Amino acid sequence: MKLLVFTLLIIALILEASLTTIPFVFLVLLCLLVLLRENWLFVFAFAFGLVLDLVSFKTLGISSAFFVVFLFLVLLYQSKFEIATNAFIFFSSLLGSFAYLMILGYNNSLILQTILSSIIGLLLFKLVRGLKVKIYG
Amino acid sequence: MQKRNFVSYFLIFLALSLIIFGASKIGLLKPLDSLGKGILSPFQALTYGAFAKITDFGSNSQVKALQAQNLKLTKKLVDQNKLIADNKALRDQFQIQNPKSTSLIEADVIGAPVFIPGISVPETLILNRGENDGVKAGQAVIYEANLIGKVAEASAFSSSVILVSNASLSFTAKSLETQSQGVVKGQGGGEMILDNVLLTDSLQKQDTVLTKGDVNAEGSGFPPDLVVGKIVSISKNPSDLFQKADVKSLIDFSKLTKVFVIANY
Repeated sequence: MKLLVFTLLIIALILEASLTTIPFVFLVLLCLLVLLRENWLFVFAFAFGLVLDLVSFKTLGISSAFFVVFLFLVLLYQSKFEIATNAFIFFSSLLGSFAYLMILGYNNSLILQTILSSIIGLLLFKLVRGLKVKIYG
Repeated sequence: MQKRNFVSYFLIFLALSLIIFGASKIGLLKPLDSLGKGILSPFQALTYGAFAKITDFGSNSQVKALQAQNLKLTKKLVDQNKLIADNKALRDQFQIQNPKSTSLIEADVIGAPVFIPGISVPETLILNRGENDGVKAGQAVIYEANLIGKVAEASAFSSSVILVSNASLSFTAKSLETQSQGVVKGQGGGEMILDNVLLTDSLQKQDTVLTKGDVNAEGSGFPPDLVVGKIVSISKNPSDLFQKADVKSLIDFSKLTKVFVIANY
């Protein structure tokens, strides 16, 4: 399972490091957390946040802190409500992407980017869920 | 998952992130930061290069050739005007070329994060040259005498560049044809305006806009006579204090793979 998580995050990191401002790493982390609900995802969130800050010339630790806080909020929410739903993924990725893009200063086409991010988040959720079922049953 | 478990994970990694953030803000992690960027930049270059090849595949070669020719001709025009002006001032014993090739550092673009790759215009570029190669924050970045942007931050092995169209960038400029002066302001999304031009000054469509020059004592900044772009529309209202014009760069920022940093003017 950890290999699948690592592979997905590496692909997301490559895309975000050189090609796009859409927060792929954040979206993959969100989908993985909703599906797996494992504590070790905090380690991945921290490590990949640091690498992302390194390659995108951001202050080290800013992405890690954001990822860790957002994952924590999602886990708090799951103790009261069901989170493995399309609606939750859509709205949490909408809110998270908006906050993340604002913090990092990607203000150009912010609304459009946020909406596209939440659609990608939803598609990623379906993809990761499909992969999880196919590989691990 | 036990609630207490994930709370402890959260607290540990949040504290670590904040410590790193604080240390990075005050510059304690600069050597580590530079080392990390040095290790990761070849991988970044590989990804960006592969994507640039994919997006370039199938593009019209005739259009590309004409665009390249247009760039060369604009550069010639600027050089020629510069030479004429210098001759007038009886300084024709020097052959002026702007900027001098000896002061340029060649750099590959290894990252240009945009909203939709290949379609949107980037706001920043990441280059594979850094402080070890002589790149410093504040230096101008060009391509065939066209202004691309300014180095925002430099680590040992790589650097980030703010593009001229970035909303955070503004600088003094002039029109090549009429020498009207104003301030170029980035608008984001590849857009720029030439603002604060006096109403009495003359601006025309297709005028070439050049940098006026604001090099500091250390040799950093924008040298004069770099091509910013061409005027595409003019907004002139008699009741306003100034007139302004929309400026379009001759360079397609999303397709840049190589640029030059002016190390010392």
